[in-house]
Amino acid sequence: MIHRTSTTARIDASITRIDAWLDRLVGPLRAHRIGIDQEHGDEGHDHGEGTADILERFARQADALHEELVHDRGLRVVGFVGATGAGKTRLIERLIERTDDRVGVIVGDVAGEDDAERFRALGADVASVATGKECHLDPGLLEDALTEIDLDAIDRLYVENVGNMVCPADFPLGAQARVVVVSATEGDDVIRKHPLLFQAGDLAVINKRDVADAVNADLDRMERDLAAIAPGMDAIRTDAEHEAGIDALASAIDERVEAHSHQDADHDHTPGHDHGHD
Amino acid sequence: MHEFSIATGIVDVVREEATDHGADRVESITVAVGEASHVNPEQLETCLTVATEDTIAADATLDIETVEPYGSCSCGWAGRPETSDRALAYAPDLRCPECEARIDLEEGDGCRVMELAVPSEDADETETTP
Ligand SMILES: [Zn+2]
Repeated sequence: MIHRTSTTARIDASITRIDAWLDRLVGPLRAHRIGIDQEHGDEGHDHGEGTADILERFARQADALHEELVHDRGLRVVGFVGATGAGKTRLIERLIERTDDRVGVIVGDVAGEDDAERFRALGADVASVATGKECHLDPGLLEDALTEIDLDAIDRLYVENVGNMVCPADFPLGAQARVVVVSATEGDDVIRKHPLLFQAGDLAVINKRDVADAVNADLDRMERDLAAIAPGMDAIRTDAEHEAGIDALASAIDERVEAHSHQDADHDHTPGHDHGHD
Repeated sequence: MHEFSIATGIVDVVREEATDHGADRVESITVAVGEASHVNPEQLETCLTVATEDTIAADATLDIETVEPYGSCSCGWAGRPETSDRALAYAPDLRCPECEARIDLEEGDGCRVMELAVPSEDADETETTP
């Protein structure tokens, strides 16, 4: 454990003098230290003392959303993360074209309604979230956006996150499957550069496979990186523009959604370090 | 950059805990940040300084620790996973070094408030004297 300490003491000189005087009187143990109680009884290792996980609060919010959308309403919820330009929007369009399900889409977009219009043209019910300065969708933003969608009239919900490969990893959104989308044009080291996002995902898509040779991207190497960084995570190679690999992606997603449903039947939801659901 | 929303969450926790202990001032806050989270300790510190303004923790000393990942495997292995050598950025190796199965992290991927210091009741009494 590395310690970094810093002080933002804004105590004026007179208080400092009183403090010094008090220290002489009552010694250095003046302060009452409150260890925060740990919520999970992990034992047997050395950083077990007291804790309230802040990120876990977001995870709990996500679990509540998951409970409502997946269990109460029976929706299939799939999240997509990945950089701007990786092809998330095009992939979701292709998936909408192929399904008989009624689809709702939540689009997290820093700028405008462009993506939303493309989904509406395919008959989807769409709500877009202008995230403003936030670099990711969080469960609260998602919840607000959901009020704009008729949840009784859809079977499936796609959530397209903001084009960001860092922040969304820490903010689960309650989906049964989280798909991480990269493209060959981002360079074949893109997975190695963003390992934590892949570790927080369920399924990887390597899009724009058709241009891999042209941009000198070694897709095998990308898959080897993925296997080392996120063991057991499947990678689907697609070319969304020319509609290649989409069926494989659709069935991989559904497989993942099904697996999740069975898993849910076996145990209750425990919020926390279960990165199994998005 | 999502450290500000996390800082706000930390202030909520601090406020609740301090109130539970009847304290109206917080002297120090210890936060543990997992290396396998995307929380940047420096940015978190900056955001906390802002988020605590005008709260009972306005004068608190901030102590930010980083926590290495800790995981365990169904084969019985438990410990700190090595970092994955194929990753360019920091990432724990999620494979068990004993049996190669996939492991889940139990520690080191979160952000937690570990400890607060509030003035002790004795000190409060003494403080009113001078
Ligand atoms: Zn093992």
